Amino acid sequence: MPVPVIMPKFGFTLESCEIVRWLVNEGDRVRSGDPLCEVTTDKVNMEVEAPEDGIVHQLLYKEGDVVPVTEVICYLLREDEAAAAAPPVQSDAPSAQSAPVATPLARRIAQSNHLDLAAVQGSGRDGKITRRDVEQALQKVRATPAARRLAAEHGIDLAQVQGTGPRGRVQGADVHAALSAPAPAPVATPPEAPAKPLGKRDTQPVPPPSIPEPAERRVVRLEGMRRTIAQRLQKSFQTAPHIFLEATAEMSAVAHLRSVLKARGAKLTVTAVLIKACAWALGKHPTLNATIEDDQISYWHTANIGMAVALEDGLIVPVIHHAERLSLQAIQQEVDRLAELARAGKLTLDQVSGGTFSISNMGMFGVDRFTAIINPPQVAILAVGRIVQQFVPDSEGKPVLKPMLNLMLSADHRVVDGAHAAYFLRDLREALETPAMLVW
Amino acid sequence: MPEVRELTYAEALRECLRQLMEEDERVFLIGEDIGVYGGAFGVTAGLIEQFGAERVIDTPISEAGIAGACIGAALTGMRPIGEIQFMDFVTLSMEQLVLQAAKVRFMFGGKASVPMVLRMPGGSGTGAAAQHSESLENWFVHVPGLKVVMPSTPYDAKGLLRAAVLDNNPVIFVEHKLLYKTKGHVPEEPYIVPLSQSKVVREGEHLTVVATSIMVPRALQAAEELAKEGIELEVIDPRTLKPLDDAPIIESVKKTGRALVVHEAVEMGGFGGEIVARIAASEAFDYLEAPIRRLAGLDIPIPYNRELEYHAVPQVESILREARKLVRGEY
Amino acid sequence: MMQLSQDLIQRYHDLIETLGPEALKTMLQEMHTIRAFEERAEQLYMQGKVHGTMHLSIGQEATAVGAANAMQEGDYLLNHHRGHGHCMAWSGDPNRMMAEFMGKETGYCRGRGGSMHIADIDANNLGANGIVAGGIPIAVGVGLSIKMRRTSQVCLVIFGDGAANEGAFHESLNMASIWALPIVFLCENNQYAMSMPVEKAFNIENISQRAAAYGLPGLTVDGNDVLAVYSAVSEAAARARRGEGATLVEAKTYRYKGHSKSDKQAYRSREEVRDWQDKRDPILRFTNLLQLAGVIDAAEATQMREHALAIIDAAVAFSEASPDPNIADIMDGVYA
Repeated sequence: MPVPVIMPKFGFTLESCEIVRWLVNEGDRVRSGDPLCEVTTDKVNMEVEAPEDGIVHQLLYKEGDVVPVTEVICYLLREDEAAAAAPPVQSDAPSAQSAPVATPLARRIAQSNHLDLAAVQGSGRDGKITRRDVEQALQKVRATPAARRLAAEHGIDLAQVQGTGPRGRVQGADVHAALSAPAPAPVATPPEAPAKPLGKRDTQPVPPPSIPEPAERRVVRLEGMRRTIAQRLQKSFQTAPHIFLEATAEMSAVAHLRSVLKARGAKLTVTAVLIKACAWALGKHPTLNATIEDDQISYWHTANIGMAVALEDGLIVPVIHHAERLSLQAIQQEVDRLAELARAGKLTLDQVSGGTFSISNMGMFGVDRFTAIINPPQVAILAVGRIVQQFVPDSEGKPVLKPMLNLMLSADHRVVDGAHAAYFLRDLREALETPAMLVW
Repeated sequence: MPEVRELTYAEALRECLRQLMEEDERVFLIGEDIGVYGGAFGVTAGLIEQFGAERVIDTPISEAGIAGACIGAALTGMRPIGEIQFMDFVTLSMEQLVLQAAKVRFMFGGKASVPMVLRMPGGSGTGAAAQHSESLENWFVHVPGLKVVMPSTPYDAKGLLRAAVLDNNPVIFVEHKLLYKTKGHVPEEPYIVPLSQSKVVREGEHLTVVATSIMVPRALQAAEELAKEGIELEVIDPRTLKPLDDAPIIESVKKTGRALVVHEAVEMGGFGGEIVARIAASEAFDYLEAPIRRLAGLDIPIPYNRELEYHAVPQVESILREARKLVRGEY
Repeated sequence: MMQLSQDLIQRYHDLIETLGPEALKTMLQEMHTIRAFEERAEQLYMQGKVHGTMHLSIGQEATAVGAANAMQEGDYLLNHHRGHGHCMAWSGDPNRMMAEFMGKETGYCRGRGGSMHIADIDANNLGANGIVAGGIPIAVGVGLSIKMRRTSQVCLVIFGDGAANEGAFHESLNMASIWALPIVFLCENNQYAMSMPVEKAFNIENISQRAAAYGLPGLTVDGNDVLAVYSAVSEAAARARRGEGATLVEAKTYRYKGHSKSDKQAYRSREEVRDWQDKRDPILRFTNLLQLAGVIDAAEATQMREHALAIIDAAVAFSEASPDPNIADIMDGVYA
């Protein structure tokens, strides 16, 4: 029996992966563990490995196809099966030979419907594709207009939703159910999932098929990391009603702390202090240390703080797990390590997931203040600018030059009440102005 | 607690006619047997005694003549209210209504107006068989220049009739024989129920039922039954079929995701098709959770036999059946 | 011909005296203008300058002019599809009529009605009706309204011989009779309902006989004799004004042209048409009468024709310079 190779569910809320490139051709002999193709998911590039030895039989999807997890993407034949079946197909073989086996009628129907037979699983003798297979492949998802609208709004593939309506029709409620299905916890990552480096993949310019491309522009397909960013941020901004709260912290004490440590050869960045301070404040205000998946809110007992890192052509948010338990020194070390991995494209899926709160620091870019979009499914993000020397009145009302830091909190108003956000911001400022609290 | 004043549908219409005739000398009634006989269904009873034969005009059996007389009088400054004894007989007036009343204003470049009302009782349920039980409202809905009104309660009957008479266009006012004796709250003072305002007569979240005339009380009765099962119907009465106010219907379907249109007239070519089309073509489409269904008269003449007659048009049981199927996802 | 006219002078001596030369001349001028309008209408049609169809009343001018002049200001008119003459005789403005005929915004009905539906609501001309007998039941309503409003108005409703065989005619005459309504029912019998000759469509000699069935007075006159029509309609209108009710007047006349522009006229001979044109033409007859009576001379008669052509030239110029209706206004006038 041919061994099916499925698109693995790499964990988390993963619904589908995009095949970036096939690393094998049909007919290639592979050994168990050999990479078959490279796929990209939630900002991470992965490889799908051969589950056992065999001969690659059918590549069911093309590069660039987005494949729902657990779908068969190709088959492996054992030596004896390969001999019985069609001779191993060479990559340079004529296309007629490499085409899947199908009845003439199935072929004709597929042709007239522009259906790629490679995407059809044959149910006939020796996997031959029959008319029924083609018709099934052509059958559209039955769904109500309401379900279609909801699916489109939430970026859900209707084919993946179990329909409960008449004749299996997907109803609006089914989409809601799919949306509110509990997301697997970060620890649910399959241990066998290879911790492959997170690569920055070049976005290949896609020449439009017939329209000559104007010289003024470069057309790039929305794919990979860019698509993930686009989808997540769009969904966040459309579904989470953002509220924005602003405060200014006086950073003299932090500056003093940093200079003291620096004098002793120890590095402490503002980012690390912010992470520690946020973790501390989140402990006091757990409503902000939460995630929301439709009608389910999870309040997390640990502060896993994401730290936005700009890449050359994107953005990634590595997570400092259990920040509330880590010392400032440990946080600093973790920040440095993750930032380096990020820029090298070597972050693992674990290192970019499971966040419960995020910080975006653009101070190093000279930005004074800005607002950030919440990183779903989290419910809050802190945007910080650069430290600015400002005149502020001292206790006697005389102007004194002080280092001031703008803190802009974005919170999802579905989960976070304004007052809670305000209390959090108040305590955060207090922690930054009195950093002794963080080491106590 | 003050006593709520109740009138029957027929009494409400009569009170409206009396008040209009007392206020405005231009208003007069014309039709067959509306004088001392009081009208075939008694709506005009007693009015000839109050206003005399000159303003409550009995006509020969001449339906084209009645329609024409209304048009001519309306064109020259009067406010005629004609009565067609049974809606079936309006077929004899069609030329005057469709080719004259509806078109005069437009054909003459918007210069003339035909402020007339033609009242007529439609519907089955009285054992009157095929030629006295028609529901022909959609014939008129199809004619630009006419307005079509179909009240379902005594309150609406009085308020809509007043609005129809004060309107400057020819209005086909369709009453229902089985509604004449139904009772409801009717204030004594004159009031208007504006034309072209659909009404949500019952709120509910599971299914929008658009019903006209006698089907409104039937839908409400079905809604009470279904409420016991946890199914909440939203019942909407368009009241004016043309020009139609479809906004509340579309809003409702956006909420419920399901729609059932109920009327007595035969389904084929009936008003329900218009409602369904409006929903399907509107933004409510994206909220649909089931096909939009119609429940209407069978495509047959109304039979004489009591059981056959009963089963020829929608009843409470059939509304219950359709509503359950829609809400339970059987369509 | 001459003999006939002298008989007429005898018959109409008193009437000619009563009306006076100016009124008589006006009537003849109107007949000329109607004919010029319709001749030009046909010409424009054949030049492709108008679309649709039209129904010409050339040869029937005496009925239109005689009837209209018998009515008073404030009276109502309802007429039929062959109605250019009625409208013009009823104080119609040739410019606005021609503009309507050409579908212009300046027409009587802003180009919405066209040839078949010209109305002049301001002059109580309630319009030409495209439906045979369509206006007759409406006339009952107008009569009823007049009676209820207690004014001294009268409603003149003009219809053809074909209309007298529609049910609406019978319902309406009956209702007008039982309620004694102030209506003049004028049946303009031009011998053919499209192709159906009156001899085949009626088993009676005169359509006016039908009045008796409803208890109304009925009379038949020579519809090509403008003064005969004038006399009959005047008398009927006076009777109505006196509160004595409706009258059915039949005016026997003849249309020279086909029913509409698509009529090959296979139902009648060219000789028959020629005979009416040569021996009974209403304009020729009235011109002869007025000349014999010394009201006009030959030069004036020619001048009237010239004047009519000039009026119509101006009407065409006015219409051609008029704007078409704005498409954005297409929904106007459906509802009040």
